[in-house]
Amino acid sequence: MVDGVADRLGTVEKRASMGDRSGRAKLAIALLTALLVLTMLFSLASGASDASAFAVVRDWLFPSLSDGSALSARDRIIVYDIRLPRVVLGVLIGAALAVSGAVMQGLFRNPLADPGLVGVSAGAGLGAIVVIVLGGTFLGPVLALFGIYTLPLAAFFGGLATTLILYRVATRRGQTSIATMLLAGIALGAMAGAFSGIMVYLADDRQLRDLTFWGLGSLAGATWTKIASAGPIIVLALIVSPFLARGLNALALGEAAAHHLGISVQRFKNVAIVSVAAATGASVAVSGGIGFVGIVVPHLLRLLIGPDNRYLLPASALLGASMLLLADAVSRTIVAPAELPIGIITAAVGGPFFLWILLRKRGILDL
Amino acid sequence: MIEARGISVSIGTRRIISDVDFDVRPGEVAAIVGPNGSGKTTFLKALSGDLPYTGRIVINNRDMAGLKPWETASMRAVLPQATALSFPFTVHEVVKLGLMSGRSGALPGEERNLPQRALARVDLDGFAGRYYQELSGGEQQRVQLARVLCQVWTPVLNGKPRYLFLDEPVSSLDIKHQLIIMEIARDFARGGGGVVAILHDLNLTAMHADRICVMHRGRLAAAGTPQDVMTDELISRVFECDLKVGALPAGNVPFVLPQSVSL
Repeated sequence: MVDGVADRLGTVEKRASMGDRSGRAKLAIALLTALLVLTMLFSLASGASDASAFAVVRDWLFPSLSDGSALSARDRIIVYDIRLPRVVLGVLIGAALAVSGAVMQGLFRNPLADPGLVGVSAGAGLGAIVVIVLGGTFLGPVLALFGIYTLPLAAFFGGLATTLILYRVATRRGQTSIATMLLAGIALGAMAGAFSGIMVYLADDRQLRDLTFWGLGSLAGATWTKIASAGPIIVLALIVSPFLARGLNALALGEAAAHHLGISVQRFKNVAIVSVAAATGASVAVSGGIGFVGIVVPHLLRLLIGPDNRYLLPASALLGASMLLLADAVSRTIVAPAELPIGIITAAVGGPFFLWILLRKRGILDL
Repeated sequence: MIEARGISVSIGTRRIISDVDFDVRPGEVAAIVGPNGSGKTTFLKALSGDLPYTGRIVINNRDMAGLKPWETASMRAVLPQATALSFPFTVHEVVKLGLMSGRSGALPGEERNLPQRALARVDLDGFAGRYYQELSGGEQQRVQLARVLCQVWTPVLNGKPRYLFLDEPVSSLDIKHQLIIMEIARDFARGGGGVVAILHDLNLTAMHADRICVMHRGRLAAAGTPQDVMTDELISRVFECDLKVGALPAGNVPFVLPQSVSL
């Protein structure tokens, strides 16, 4: 049995050394799935309260074993209504951020493209802020029409507009200039920031508190309602992403070569841009700007399993979800019983990592 | 067969090529030659469907304007001049991208080994595990050719010929690999497919092309067999230097010696 596993691993590594990393990628996806299950259980079990997730899960799976007393109603509320929505939201947001990072990098043919870095999150944020601040005024009817979906939809359109402008400015004849892209991102981010500033100026005290907390990026306040509002959009974007893998792989050779390989390039780019904007917008709407997941996760995975998007996208979703859950666990426990916004954790870890990428930029990682 | 009739391409307000007629016949290697800026690459791009054109291009009796990208992908493969990659793909992974359109024509069991065979074909045996970005320009070009070969591995699919479009396939190669690549083109034609190649080396062209299409200032200056086209008058006029064309006694293959020129 152990020998069999060792043999299989030997074959996988031999193939990888021959340039075929698909075996290794499949193995990584299996391990990342296991990792995600473990982090989810860990997140469910840990927290400021001593509520036993184990007991809740046991009672749920094997009601006959329940001894009744061990599981108080309080525990059940903590696990089902506080921790579980937070875990589910963490998984959705982590996966959405990592996948939209990977898709955007493939689309721009550039490992530095990340919705947070090039102003897309800022654009999505502006959309959300407009709804938060003006929701009570002339946007009232819109709010009434779309209900809980107004916020994610507004963020989606904000993100979409930013992505389209960015693509228009930075891409000429199928080639994206990295300098133009980053500079355009800075400009777009600044513009979104300025308009957001105006909105903040208009906001009343209660809205201001909402905005500040939201702007730092956090999974706190995760509720089933929030999941119901952003979840469907994120799940839809995640379901679409595997279908983008082939086109993104072809696009790595350039737009003309992708066309020669049989991809309808323009239509493909439209779908990819909309799905990035949807995933980013919905995430930003419920959890604010959580940085660096979209750049760190795909980059790490490319080092490990290579840039083939058929494996990179699902692996990014899995690792992004796990990483965000772990970051959230840290944010909840490091200053317990208070908690740190998760955006601070991801930035504290992601910032140095980003610098490390820049330092290593010569060689095969050449940007 | 590919028939291009009256092909014109404008970029912005500038006319790049005007009224070019050109045929690619199955079983033939057709070479496009001409000085820099004469519109060779632009014409090949129109033929590949990369640029909007006026005129009519018919490929295997179907108007290209009505074909979907995935349909043309099963009829022809295109080798660009140079391809830079921004992610660390291995050579194997790059070559495998050629199988994406799913119409290599190889038997299902064979397809798995196709990248390896294609690499051996372009003399890159043992390179599969290397990173593409670490290779020299000439090696990268051959990796891309291996990818392109995978896309149309069998020169004929379901009784219909397929085509290879090669934009300066030997421009960064040493002489041995120039000959290997031209031999691959010949083999593809021998197998019933058609090849269009933009070439700069007139001698290599004379040796390997069945037909030569000479472009000059965006127009077709001449088309025909090497013997017909490669004359002192035409070559000197088009390339604007006083070249002399000779002919080898065996096979009557023309050759051009740059030593004859006084600029």
